[in-house]
Amino acid sequence: MITRLRHVLEGAAIPVAAVLLGLVVSSAFVVIAGKQPLPTYAFMFCEGFGARGCENFGHLLFVPVEEEDGSVHTHFAPTLGTRGHKLAIVLERATPLILTALSATVAFRAGMFSIGQDGQLVLGAVAAVFLGYWLPDQIYLLTGTGPDSAPPLQLALMRLTIPPVAMAAAMLVGAFYSWIAGILKVRLNVNELISTIILNAIAVQFVTFMVNFPLRADFNNIARTRTIDDTAWLTPFTRALLNEVDWFRGSRLGIGLLLVLVAAAIIWFFLHRTTAGYEQRMTEGSRLFARYGGIPSARATLRAMLISGALSGLAGALMILGVERRIVDGFALGGTGFDGVLVAILARESVVGILLVASFFAGLEQGAINLQFENLPRQLGGMIIAFMILFASMEDFFRDNITRLRVRLFPESVAPSQSASEA
Amino acid sequence: MTPDLAIDMREVRKYFPSSDVLAADDVDFQVRQGEIHALVGENGAGKTTLMNILYGLVRADHGDVRVNGETVHIHHPNDAIRAGIGMVHQHFKLIPSFTIAENVMLGIEPGQLGFINASEEAQAVADLGENFGLPVDPNAVVADISVGMQQRVEILKTLQRDARILVLDEPTAVLTPQEVRELYNVIRQLAADGRTIILITHKLVEVKAVADRVSVMRNGRMIATHDVADVSIRDMANLMVGREVVLRVDKEKASPRDPVLEVNNLLVASAGGIPAVFGVSLELRAGEILGIAGVSGNGQTELVEALCGLRAVEGGSVVLGGEDVTLSTVRARRQRGMAHIPEDRMHMGLNLRTSLDENLIVTVYQRSPWSERGIFRFRAIRDFALRIVRSFNVRSARLGEEIHTLSGGNLQKLVLGRELDGHPGLIVANQPTRGLDIGSIEFVHKTLVEARDAGAAILLVSVELDEIFSLSDRVAIMFEGRIMAVHDIEDLDEESIGLLMAGHQEPGP
Repeated sequence: MITRLRHVLEGAAIPVAAVLLGLVVSSAFVVIAGKQPLPTYAFMFCEGFGARGCENFGHLLFVPVEEEDGSVHTHFAPTLGTRGHKLAIVLERATPLILTALSATVAFRAGMFSIGQDGQLVLGAVAAVFLGYWLPDQIYLLTGTGPDSAPPLQLALMRLTIPPVAMAAAMLVGAFYSWIAGILKVRLNVNELISTIILNAIAVQFVTFMVNFPLRADFNNIARTRTIDDTAWLTPFTRALLNEVDWFRGSRLGIGLLLVLVAAAIIWFFLHRTTAGYEQRMTEGSRLFARYGGIPSARATLRAMLISGALSGLAGALMILGVERRIVDGFALGGTGFDGVLVAILARESVVGILLVASFFAGLEQGAINLQFENLPRQLGGMIIAFMILFASMEDFFRDNITRLRVRLFPESVAPSQSASEA
Repeated sequence: MTPDLAIDMREVRKYFPSSDVLAADDVDFQVRQGEIHALVGENGAGKTTLMNILYGLVRADHGDVRVNGETVHIHHPNDAIRAGIGMVHQHFKLIPSFTIAENVMLGIEPGQLGFINASEEAQAVADLGENFGLPVDPNAVVADISVGMQQRVEILKTLQRDARILVLDEPTAVLTPQEVRELYNVIRQLAADGRTIILITHKLVEVKAVADRVSVMRNGRMIATHDVADVSIRDMANLMVGREVVLRVDKEKASPRDPVLEVNNLLVASAGGIPAVFGVSLELRAGEILGIAGVSGNGQTELVEALCGLRAVEGGSVVLGGEDVTLSTVRARRQRGMAHIPEDRMHMGLNLRTSLDENLIVTVYQRSPWSERGIFRFRAIRDFALRIVRSFNVRSARLGEEIHTLSGGNLQKLVLGRELDGHPGLIVANQPTRGLDIGSIEFVHKTLVEARDAGAAILLVSVELDEIFSLSDRVAIMFEGRIMAVHDIEDLDEESIGLLMAGHQEPGP
């Protein structure tokens, strides 16, 4: 029990140390850019995670608010929603990121280092956007109605069916695209890293072409598709039940987040509670062991790739149906898929870890981008994040030093070398 | 200090933080000049770590090392070589495509301006071999020579670098009995020549045969040092294990029944596509142990993998319990009663990256009661795992925890427990005691004999002749992918088996 607690604590120390070291190293660049490191970081974290009025690290927890009568009260910051909270935007951005991280995790946990999430995501997005306006068009055509003239019952039925259909289609497209890399691996032993990189490139070109030509809506300078019909929209909280809650204001956070949480729970259950998840995890741990035990590894690998692709496709659908509502040229280069791979690695493929890391990552990105409001180059934000990831990847280094520290502080916790005599 | 100590290590301590193991716990180790000193201990006792510290491959946390009375700081094998220490590793470090002479001279080539004078090199190596009674053909390519000869090349390498102290790590593991005897002679001669030999081993017969003194390590500590003449093999075994051990396997004569496994003219290719098993035919009956003897690398691994469904068969057939399984999957074979104790328990027999329970259910997970409709039933799994852990007495095993901290013996108990559960009709055991300590070997042997007596047919592949002799009822000797002969164990002795292992044909009837 104590051992387990020790493991948890030591595990948590690693990301914290990585973030701090990343900030320390980045300070040099902040100074070069002509700013003070600490206020810069405070600004970054406030922009990422703070409530309105956040100005220093302390304000991330408790923020003073001037009331109308002039008095000043201190509020618990994370729940303070005066004209929206930054955390709502963070969660909006984390929604697809969690899915691509889950997608990477499912593939990794079958021993497939697939980084094809970007390709699967953009293809899923195209499927979703197309169905998002084409399907309602057909229904209006059949019923002889229009968005403004359709009876409320028809609109309600459309709202209930079109988003699921569009999401299912996006998942199918993503799953198929991921399956290609899987079958190449299983049948021809093609390295999945290479095949997914190439498949990503093909998908990006294809989507760019689709947006610029067949699906182009108008002759605007920047190519874009039509906007999805109102009935295809996955309603944001601000537009529906929770429109009175200030906290959500300014974000397009919506039902998508709930779907993602359900997906995370299902994936956790799949990996740890089902024989199919067991098959793919054993295949990851040791292909030899899986074969030796009689596990159908090829089937487990393909299944994992299908699930992985479906999750990325769903991420694309949620970005379209919940947030973007159309594809603008350049969407294909967004990188949510690759960020998901980083999140999966940093969370060490744990589902709960992904929820935390994806949110933290999204907040950092938001804070980093907003550094430009402080007259700092936005590239600096990218560098700070990159340094943190670099330090976070030095897991063994931290672990060895933590153990060494523990041995120095608590020598009695050193187990004697495993006794080899028994029976 | 006494000047006649070749090696004097004092209070050497080494802790490995990554594995959380104290491999050397203030170890003192003294070796006299000119003696043959055996260093024995079970796996993980710390003997290899101690020698790696001496040879500069591992750095001690603290402690003194004196060589011939002088304190030395050895941080790199080059420092060790300069101090006159040479090491022959268990796994040879030769370049297969180079000649013997090129290997011996590697890094210290005579010659001028970077040009190598091949004939001069060859002559020097031939002379060196003659001087030490280790004749070699300097122009032979290492890939073509026998394992015994490769070992000779390794020894010559250290002698060429003027080693006065030689460390030999498990030198007999890969040799035939004849080669072992030759090696003993070489060792004795080198000692007579005034050189000091440190022999790392876990075979106590060897210690008795060749060493002057013996040091025993256990759990990272130095337990005792004795003159070999003063201690029996049993004494040494007890010191190593820390309790009384039974060295002999008690078993009744076998009473074989119906055939379980029939192998007809089996042809199997190695990874490179070259035939590794060449027309092997065997019959194995319920209630008997058939030993496959042979020097490592003569097709045993490929034979076992083909029998167990892990390697494609090029020709011939495998019949298990009356049904042709030549093309069957692993799962189908297992369902027909096959169990497999693999040679490589770390990567094949177990998945060290997951928990104890998940390791134990790999052959049954898809069936009730362990899972229903694809979803695990954890209560059934826990009961199952608990039963195996208890009945095989797996120490310090905790359900749900990863198994990489368990000792080799405990890991093998997990494999045995899983494979023997449900009374399989055929047990294929490939090197089931490799790398295990005496206590665990005793347990594995006892368990296999019990399984035989309960009616299992056991195919035992082993390169340890002791193991073949103490377990087998019949022995098949394998050489270069063929079965040279099959005999009842009573009709064989070490001499005749050794000749067959080296490829000598039996005289025709």
